[in-house]
Amino acid sequence: MIELKNIEKYYANKGVKSYILRHVTTSIKQGEFVSIMGPSGAGKSTLLNILGMLEEPTYGEYHFMGEDVTAMKERQRIELYRNHIGFVFQAYHLIDEMTVAENIEAPLLYKKIPGAERKSRIADVLDRFNMVAKKDLFPNQLSGGQQQLVGIARALVAQPSIILADEPTGNLQSAQAEQIMDLFKKLNQEENITILQVTHSEKNAQYGNRILTIEDGVIKEDVSVNG
Amino acid sequence: MFKLNLKIALRNLWKNKTSSFINVIGLAIGLAACLMLLLYVTYELNFDKESKNSENVYTVMTNIPGDNGKVSNTFEGSTTALGPLLKEEIPEIKHLARMNYLKKALIAVGENSFKKLGKFAEPEILKLFDYQYIVGNAATAMQNPKSVILTESTAKVLFGSTQVLNRVVKYQDKEDLTVSAVIKDLPDNTSATLKFDYLMPWAFYEMVDASAKELNWGNFSFVTMALLDPNTDVTRVNEKIDKVVKTHLEQANQPYFLYPLSKLHLYGKFENGVNVGGDIEQIYLFVALAFGILMIACINFMNMATAKSEKRAKEVGIKKTIGANRVSLIMQFLTESMVLTFIAVIVAIALLEIFLPTFNNLLNIKLSIGYFSASSWMWILGIVFLTGLIAGSYPAFYLSAFNPIQTLKKRIKSGGILAINLRQVLVVGQFCFAIVLIISTMVIYRQIQFIKNRPMGIDVNALVEIPQDGELKTKFEVVKSQLLKSGAVKAVSQSSVGLSHRGQNFMDVKWEGMAKPLNTQLFNQVATTYDFIKTNGIKLKEGRDFSKNFASDSAGVLISATALKVFGYTNPIGKTVTIFDDKYTIVGVFDDYVWDSPYQSNNPVIVFFDPNRTGTITMRLNEANSIAQNIATITEITKQVNPAYPTDIKFLNSIYLEKYNSEKTLGILSNLFGGLAIFVSCLGLFGLVAYSAEQRTKEFGVRKVLGASVTNLMQLLSLSFVKMIVVAIIIAVPLSYYAMGKWLSKFEFHTEINWWIMLLAAFGTLAMALITVSFQAYKSAKANPVDALKYE
Repeated sequence: MIELKNIEKYYANKGVKSYILRHVTTSIKQGEFVSIMGPSGAGKSTLLNILGMLEEPTYGEYHFMGEDVTAMKERQRIELYRNHIGFVFQAYHLIDEMTVAENIEAPLLYKKIPGAERKSRIADVLDRFNMVAKKDLFPNQLSGGQQQLVGIARALVAQPSIILADEPTGNLQSAQAEQIMDLFKKLNQEENITILQVTHSEKNAQYGNRILTIEDGVIKEDVSVNG
Repeated sequence: MFKLNLKIALRNLWKNKTSSFINVIGLAIGLAACLMLLLYVTYELNFDKESKNSENVYTVMTNIPGDNGKVSNTFEGSTTALGPLLKEEIPEIKHLARMNYLKKALIAVGENSFKKLGKFAEPEILKLFDYQYIVGNAATAMQNPKSVILTESTAKVLFGSTQVLNRVVKYQDKEDLTVSAVIKDLPDNTSATLKFDYLMPWAFYEMVDASAKELNWGNFSFVTMALLDPNTDVTRVNEKIDKVVKTHLEQANQPYFLYPLSKLHLYGKFENGVNVGGDIEQIYLFVALAFGILMIACINFMNMATAKSEKRAKEVGIKKTIGANRVSLIMQFLTESMVLTFIAVIVAIALLEIFLPTFNNLLNIKLSIGYFSASSWMWILGIVFLTGLIAGSYPAFYLSAFNPIQTLKKRIKSGGILAINLRQVLVVGQFCFAIVLIISTMVIYRQIQFIKNRPMGIDVNALVEIPQDGELKTKFEVVKSQLLKSGAVKAVSQSSVGLSHRGQNFMDVKWEGMAKPLNTQLFNQVATTYDFIKTNGIKLKEGRDFSKNFASDSAGVLISATALKVFGYTNPIGKTVTIFDDKYTIVGVFDDYVWDSPYQSNNPVIVFFDPNRTGTITMRLNEANSIAQNIATITEITKQVNPAYPTDIKFLNSIYLEKYNSEKTLGILSNLFGGLAIFVSCLGLFGLVAYSAEQRTKEFGVRKVLGASVTNLMQLLSLSFVKMIVVAIIIAVPLSYYAMGKWLSKFEFHTEINWWIMLLAAFGTLAMALITVSFQAYKSAKANPVDALKYE
């Protein structure tokens, strides 16, 4: 599904190149649950952003489902966002002016899915996440864990083939974090959704089936986990 | 999608109440000002366009030849002989009507008598203009010479009803006329020569005035209007007219030409016989003003929106990652600005309705929203749409271009260098406009004051005039002695025209030792009897006023100081001048006085002695009594002598005030809209500072903890804004100096632009902006740092 070849990322500042990523080469298959780990500033988030096409690598090749991402136009990227990629953020990034239901509906609107189907899909997701009662609340009326659930629901509703999560539990208490991780695992196993998460927590990493460890922009370790 | 956008837009507005309020009020004021000016412009542009044939109606203009084959003057007017000739010789003319200018004349039903504007015209006038008949019709309305067409309001005043067909009114206390039709009142934007209260047939005019009957080529007291075939080329017709007139009249050196009636109001200025614009320039100015204010309000919106970009950027980032493309984001931001504009329009129309009466009062016109036709509503809709687009486009394109990862990582530095610069440029632009308006207002005001303070050569205070009608013509001496005896007045004189008048010019003057064979200087003539100088308070420089002690005064003249200059006499008293082949002796020389425009030097005046040329009685009130008492006495005496006519007493100082009207309009408008421009600009500035303060709450908290004083913080926040105002001042001052210098040079007598006007405007604006900024700055600088640092 994802092929990275010799990805490099650096910032040139006053003639000095400061590398974020160096020679990153790896591949991720459909249905994997990969955790990216490493100390602060190692380049985990940058890698995830490159995978999510939010940032462009300075150098290297990136193929997403067989297509060369670096050569893609913005319109094609947006098509990928709409159909294949779901994002989950550490700070949830819900739209404050929209209710829970509207937040979840937004990606479907951009995907131009007809109204009836939108309704049934939203109802479905709300039901699955036990949030039917909260559908008309605004994000600031929810707890952090609930907000993140909405964030995941929003990522899922468009039925993506991969979810990219940047420290999804970083702002949550451990009980809520566990709930989220359980959910990810379930999605991965039952629906065969590829999940890529950046995390600090050794415990959370254990939910997945593969751990990439990055240090100073280089992949140090690539191990399988037998959960 | 649209529904959701709309919903979110409304929620956003509700959430940011301060900025929404500033935006809505700013835009509403901008739109209201814009609509008001456009209303005024529509009113002016539709002058004389009520009739469906209006674009084919032409009026005859006459060129007066001057020196060197040039045209010295062009005016709307013609002779009685021209009309019939044109009708016969020019086939392109479908209908043609001769008429007179309007004249106030007495019209009465029993005791119910009024002086109203009457007009005489040939029946074909009814084909030129499609009047709306309440009773009667165009076919029969002017058949009978002794008939009259009343307007609705005249009929109501006279009879109390409009159903008055075949009823009888008395004209000038002499002739009985039958009402043949009642028409709807003419719209306010009908030109003065056509806005009659009642209309009478030309045939009747020929009965009461011999000058109307004879076919004459020398008397220009008439108007000729014609309806041309729609497909006619007017230039061709005018060439034909020139030829036709020349074959019939050898000495025809006064070319006549047809000019579109509906253009005359706005394009009425002629130089050397060619149109050189006219009031349309003011209209352009007002349109510019209207859109300027609207732009200021739009700029406010743009600034507020981009200032908030940091907050909105996050939203943009999220939406992009869930599949929004740029178009959908642009649509969303535009929806927001459209919603806001729409709310602003509603407020604006409410404001317009509330302030229209005041505005009408100020300008002395009668505007109503009804002047907007269906097509103008389309225009308004267009303006609203455009406003929303202008206000929303910059934020929309700017915000939607954000890169999602930057926005989500909060790396965005309030939009980068370019955005900050653009915002600053916009603020500078706003204040430039406002400062230019303020300076213009002050210069216009000073110019009006300057002209008002110029010596007029007469003492208009306590001076009144009444028209010399009916018995007042024949029994003037009786009335005069009665008035003087009553003690209500100190002096009385009669004259052919009022002190303030137009026209009455002539050139046929010869004097002793004249170098040129022919005089080309226009002179103004006034005919009077005794006490002219004394009554009007004119300063006599040499000689004396006309006196009963000198029988020879009937061949004497008084001349003005400039007239003396033209003649070049060193000892004028006793010298003679020849006017219309009659010899007159100069008995006195008086200082020039203002009788026409106060903005330029008036033509020299020659005052004749002639008891038969009556027109106006001027009286100097006795200031020992109250004005009301004096007026009552005068009314009583004139009523006694002249019962048929109502007494119409006019104060000369208000007549002279009217001379400043057009500049006053300009002054009022620039004053009003200059004030609004400043207000809206300050509103925007307030919003920006408030937002900037909110953004820097944390920074201020930290600084305060580190020991910064309130003053330090206020300086920090205010300085960048003050800098922009200073830049605006630097740009606006020379700009307005140039523009106002140009405006002033239009006037022969004008004030100078003082440096202190510039200084006052600059410091005034700066002070206003400073107050706006410091209010917010003080608030945020005083805030408890703990509150600020609790965030995040």
